[in-house]
Amino acid sequence: MMTGMERLKAAINGTPADRIPVFCNLLDQGAGELGMSLEEYYASGECVAEAQLRMCARFGYDNVWSLFYVGKEAELMGCGRMIYAADGPPNVGEMVVRTYDDIDKLTVPDDITAHPAFAEEMKCLRILRSEVGGKQPICAYVTASMTMPAMLMGMEKWMQLLMMGPPEVRDRLLAKCADLCRKRLAAYHELGVDIVVYSNPFGSTDFIPLKFFHELSVPWMERDLASAASAGIVYYCGSARFGAIIDTILDKLALPAFYLSPHDDIAACKTVIAGRALTCGIINDIMLRTWTRDEIRAEVKRIIDAGMPGGHFLFGTLVMPCSIPEESICTMLDAAYEFGRIGTP
Amino acid sequence: MLQRVMRLYADAVLDTDRDRALQVVTDAVEAHVSPEEVVFEIVLPSLESMMTAVSEGQGVSLAQHYMAAQIGAEVVEEMIPRFAARPATVGRVIIGTAPGDFHGLGKRIVTGCLKAMMVDVVDLGLNIPAERFVDEAVARHAQVIAVSTMMLHTALGEGGSLGVRRLLRERGLEGRIRIAVGGAPYRFDPNLYKAVEADAWAENGILAGKVITDLIHEVTP
Repeated sequence: MMTGMERLKAAINGTPADRIPVFCNLLDQGAGELGMSLEEYYASGECVAEAQLRMCARFGYDNVWSLFYVGKEAELMGCGRMIYAADGPPNVGEMVVRTYDDIDKLTVPDDITAHPAFAEEMKCLRILRSEVGGKQPICAYVTASMTMPAMLMGMEKWMQLLMMGPPEVRDRLLAKCADLCRKRLAAYHELGVDIVVYSNPFGSTDFIPLKFFHELSVPWMERDLASAASAGIVYYCGSARFGAIIDTILDKLALPAFYLSPHDDIAACKTVIAGRALTCGIINDIMLRTWTRDEIRAEVKRIIDAGMPGGHFLFGTLVMPCSIPEESICTMLDAAYEFGRIGTP
Repeated sequence: MLQRVMRLYADAVLDTDRDRALQVVTDAVEAHVSPEEVVFEIVLPSLESMMTAVSEGQGVSLAQHYMAAQIGAEVVEEMIPRFAARPATVGRVIIGTAPGDFHGLGKRIVTGCLKAMMVDVVDLGLNIPAERFVDEAVARHAQVIAVSTMMLHTALGEGGSLGVRRLLRERGLEGRIRIAVGGAPYRFDPNLYKAVEADAWAENGILAGKVITDLIHEVTP
């Protein structure tokens, strides 16, 4: 049987494989896997690694995560308080940018790997590498500079600054966030991460007008990615659609993979990508909470039928909510393994 | 002339150009367009045209919703004191995010949109318990409680819309106060509003203006 890494490489290179790669993003579920609260769970890199390995082995999907929760990036910029829920991801509990003067006080760590807020993720990564390195793709998550301010000052205030200025204040904040992004990308590269999901909802035309995307998002993405090797970087807009800008991303940034929105037209996006990158077709996982077995199978089949012809395709989920029944997760994965079968290499 | 001004204003808003939109209004006022005409012939029709565009699936981004709501609210708030007679408000809405939810952007867009539509809005802020939503709605004679959530677990939480429904039922207020919900998880599950026992949901902040005013009319004699 092929490993997840072999399947991923086959999908990227368009070479034979037993089936398409299947990425299932179970994060908060790890706490339940180990019988812990989310707060206890996320305090330990060993626990996160153990749960990631257990869930990947039990369900049979192809990826593991070093990501704890998205808000963790704010901790690297000085956020000292997270708010935990019993059944969902932790929220940033304090905004480190409360006034524009706070922007000048923000400090981007010189060495991300030496920062205390990164210590547990480092432990997690080292365990994942030693246990499944080279066999299962290890995924990390980096927020783009255009989106990071939402975690530092809140979406509401960031939208105001972004759209109404002052532009020089906006650009001072974006410069710091781009610096953080570059340093995080370099750290993950050094630590041997296979895939970095580069998350940029503000690089989606669901969030900003197309003109604004070209004038602001593209230049800041170029700065974020200036010193990074593009291999392994996956473009993702946090469930927002971005079919309209794929060609620009390919042209300007040459990214090798696109993790679409469940609301994107997979076949249309594949046509635009035209074999130049991996297309990741994503299920609307919120509906997994209520869909029947037949509905889940029909939706998985629809996605794979739209994306698999011609190869260069991966089936994936968003960040799966805790309220999805395990039976539905199994139904989805079994359907993906069945409909995504290609043949023995 | 008003039609042309409305078009200029709507184009500036769609271009997210606040300065240009406000200049269109300033020029109109200098050309003796009345404050009432600014609100009812320029701002509201431009919001309605955006609602139509969104309903028809034409791409309108979150930033454009945000700017339309903010600019519209700003213009209406400036015009109302200049009206010849104080206008009757359409109704009153209590808005906030559910307990455990700290994402305020959607709420702000809805608030701006409602203000531009001459609806009184009481914004309670973030992380609001169900009791407070209901107590404030009763104290301020609101017709609608609007609960915004960005995450599925906060949408489904007992302290959010479900808690508001329970309290309305216990206090015999269901005939007087409606519940509207909105936010990211509802866009991924259009039946989620039923699971949280709300009366209606809106796909985005601009359409929320129409959904909420429809609810107000349901309970207003």
